[in-house]
Amino acid sequence: MCLTTFTFIAFCIITLFIYFIIPKKFQWIVLLVSSVTFLFWDNFNIETIIQALIVLMSAYVFGRLIDKYYDTKKAKRFLAFGILIILAQLIYLKYTNLFLTTFNHIFNLFGIKYQFGLVYRNSLIGISYYSLIMISYMTDIYRGTCKAQKNIFKCALFMSYFPILTSGPFIRYDSVGKEMYKEHKFNYNDMCYGLLRILWGVFKILVISQRLGIFVDNIYTNIGIYNFLLTFLAVLAFPLQLYTNFSGSIDVIMGISEIMGIKLPENFKLPFFSRTITEFWRNWHITLGAWLRDYIFYPLQKSNVMQKLNKKCKNIFGKKIGKKIPMYVSMVIMWILIGLWHGGAYTYIIGSGILQFLFIFLEDILSPASKKINDKLGINTEVFSYKLYQIIRTYLLFSFAMIFFKATRISNAIEIIKSMFTFNLGILSKKIILSALGMDLYDFAILIVSLLTLFIVQLLARKGSVRGKLFKQNIIFRWGIIYSLIFSIVIFGCYGVGYNATAFIYGQF
Amino acid sequence: MNKKEIIKVIVFLFILFVIMFFLFKILWLNPTAISLFYEEPKNSLDIVFTGASTTYRSFNTVLAYNLYGYTSGILSSSAQPFILTEYLIKESEKYQNPSLYVIDIGRVGNGPEADEEGNIRTNTDSMKFSKNRTDAINAIMEYKNIDSKQYANLNFSFLMYHNKWKSISKENIVGAKNYYKGYSFLDKSAVIKPIEKYTWIDDEIELQEKNEEILNSLINYIKDNNLNVLFIVPKKIYMEDENKRINSAIKIIQDNNMNVVNFNTIEEFNDIIDINTNFYDNDHLNVYGATKYTLYLAKYLNENYEFKDHRNDANYSSWSKEYERFKSSFKKITNKEFDELLLEYKNI
Repeated sequence: MCLTTFTFIAFCIITLFIYFIIPKKFQWIVLLVSSVTFLFWDNFNIETIIQALIVLMSAYVFGRLIDKYYDTKKAKRFLAFGILIILAQLIYLKYTNLFLTTFNHIFNLFGIKYQFGLVYRNSLIGISYYSLIMISYMTDIYRGTCKAQKNIFKCALFMSYFPILTSGPFIRYDSVGKEMYKEHKFNYNDMCYGLLRILWGVFKILVISQRLGIFVDNIYTNIGIYNFLLTFLAVLAFPLQLYTNFSGSIDVIMGISEIMGIKLPENFKLPFFSRTITEFWRNWHITLGAWLRDYIFYPLQKSNVMQKLNKKCKNIFGKKIGKKIPMYVSMVIMWILIGLWHGGAYTYIIGSGILQFLFIFLEDILSPASKKINDKLGINTEVFSYKLYQIIRTYLLFSFAMIFFKATRISNAIEIIKSMFTFNLGILSKKIILSALGMDLYDFAILIVSLLTLFIVQLLARKGSVRGKLFKQNIIFRWGIIYSLIFSIVIFGCYGVGYNATAFIYGQF
Repeated sequence: MNKKEIIKVIVFLFILFVIMFFLFKILWLNPTAISLFYEEPKNSLDIVFTGASTTYRSFNTVLAYNLYGYTSGILSSSAQPFILTEYLIKESEKYQNPSLYVIDIGRVGNGPEADEEGNIRTNTDSMKFSKNRTDAINAIMEYKNIDSKQYANLNFSFLMYHNKWKSISKENIVGAKNYYKGYSFLDKSAVIKPIEKYTWIDDEIELQEKNEEILNSLINYIKDNNLNVLFIVPKKIYMEDENKRINSAIKIIQDNNMNVVNFNTIEEFNDIIDINTNFYDNDHLNVYGATKYTLYLAKYLNENYEFKDHRNDANYSSWSKEYERFKSSFKKITNKEFDELLLEYKNI
């Protein structure tokens, strides 16, 4: 069930209505029923039921055992078992084909004719989210951050909380989990704030992202047809498309939760104003970064292997460089995992993993030299122009990495890069530009205006809550803005079947 | 929520729905003959026509009124899917009480593949929201085997028309007038275009199973509701199989003791229609052909059925006005008085 469909709107209205009219002690049950319905909406069969049960039962049973044997060796073993089962299923469902294609490539290299056939697994929506969420749940019990949930149904609700199943964010049991079981009174302000956030999210998805998608998809599926300028523009447009889609979905999810009185962690904090890639990733998909930091990076750093490596490196390279090498090793592992989490393909591993690490690594090792150069040349790094340069540089680097993320194959990504640097202007007529954009001038004008709106809202957001500011305004202005937002979505949103005037003109007779 | 908050929500939603209502109206399908049919005063029509464009491009309703004083409504659309005929008659029955229905069966031999989305929507999106409209959509979905996911799309067409903001017509905003009472008189209609080789064969092949069911269902509906009906087959170029299937349909209709006029086989009519000068294209008569056709059919209807003469009734003055409008448009395009043309055709 997609977040911007009428089915989802109806589903949410029914859920919210029942949620607030039934006795408060049953509210969590309404959430559970809705979440399970949502989970199996498009994919209800014995296979998917088993998949969900494996994660739920592993987390529930091992969670209870870890809690029972807290602070003993047994607890560590139970944690390992639990994680292993959930991870094994996740890898089997999501990454089998990645392994098979890797083997096929290796066979090819060695001239072996045998090739594995690819397999198509039927997996549930949100499996990457709820698998990792339940791993963190068990780990938190092991660490003593929280107690195991004794009620299996409440545990099932934490695992399947429906708003987050499509796009996250990653939630933690000690903060969000417990919120779900609390009794929530209907609050008018929460409703207004929540609905406004939902509208803004839908605007970003339907008016901006879908429109940008027409152009980006056109260039990525017709590689080499359009000249370098248009290809370059599509490469720059993709991060915006991704951001408006992803952050728009998060806005919808946060808005729904806000109405129910459940506060979720923020997943984006104006990432395109970041001055470095390191800062960018602190503001982009924040909860994934935090999850990997807390459950992969730190444990890796503290592991015996890394401690030993740390010692060795310090002996060989000295204290300053020596302590950085194990950190870079942990970072490489973490970034490869980030790439893998995005999907079982090498394009993801390169685009959202290795390249991102490389940029961060270069930033880290080059920063002393860069500082020296700036000091010697007397460059003021705190002025607007320098900050703008850094922001643009970060955007360009991220856009470059996203070529791999977007392309279906590495070879396609390379083709895109080649056509970006094939400086052949060719014929750049209005007709060709519009054909590349995949839209007419009207749609293009809407795209520009909506991007400007996004930019203004983001600028305002830097100085505090935009919703807070809006709700302080007089009713005419406030409602005017809200109606404009609603009608922009209704009229200019890219949804439904496009009205094709030519079909009707032809149908005159 | 306190009282003030409840009032705020109600006012907000009220304004929202009012704006939405007008927005939906503006961004809807351009007015069609079917949507304009609703604007005729209740129970003011003596005859209602259904069928494809051959209907509204051939029968000049205002000329027929001027000659005999009866009123005719047009519930037709471009390539109107035959399956919708029954639902359109049901729709007509809600607002009008005509003495006769004239049903064009020129498309009875076409299969589901011939009914394109645009041709379906011109009908369903012109109909008012009602159970009958939903039934019509369900019927066409089943007939064409349309994916059930399209249900919302066909029922709530705003999903499609919201994108029409780029091509809003003046009629969408200020409303359209039913010029010439449904007869479609385009400038181009006066242009003569040579027609391809015309033939009509008398052989028969069976109607497609689904089409036969649709025809039988329509016949049963007509019988159950004691409606007075005349089926007609317009003169145009038909594919061979289409022609043969129409012959089958004619037989089914006649077996049910209902009247069919096939303009392809009436010698008297064929003698007056000039293939080379009276057609706009393979399917449509131009204004000259349409005038001859109207003179012939209007006389036939007047001689074979009983209708009231409304020409002296002030309530029907709009019909005379539209006839005058038609005549003046005719003159603008052809530089000829329409009355002169009528004199030329006085023997029809």
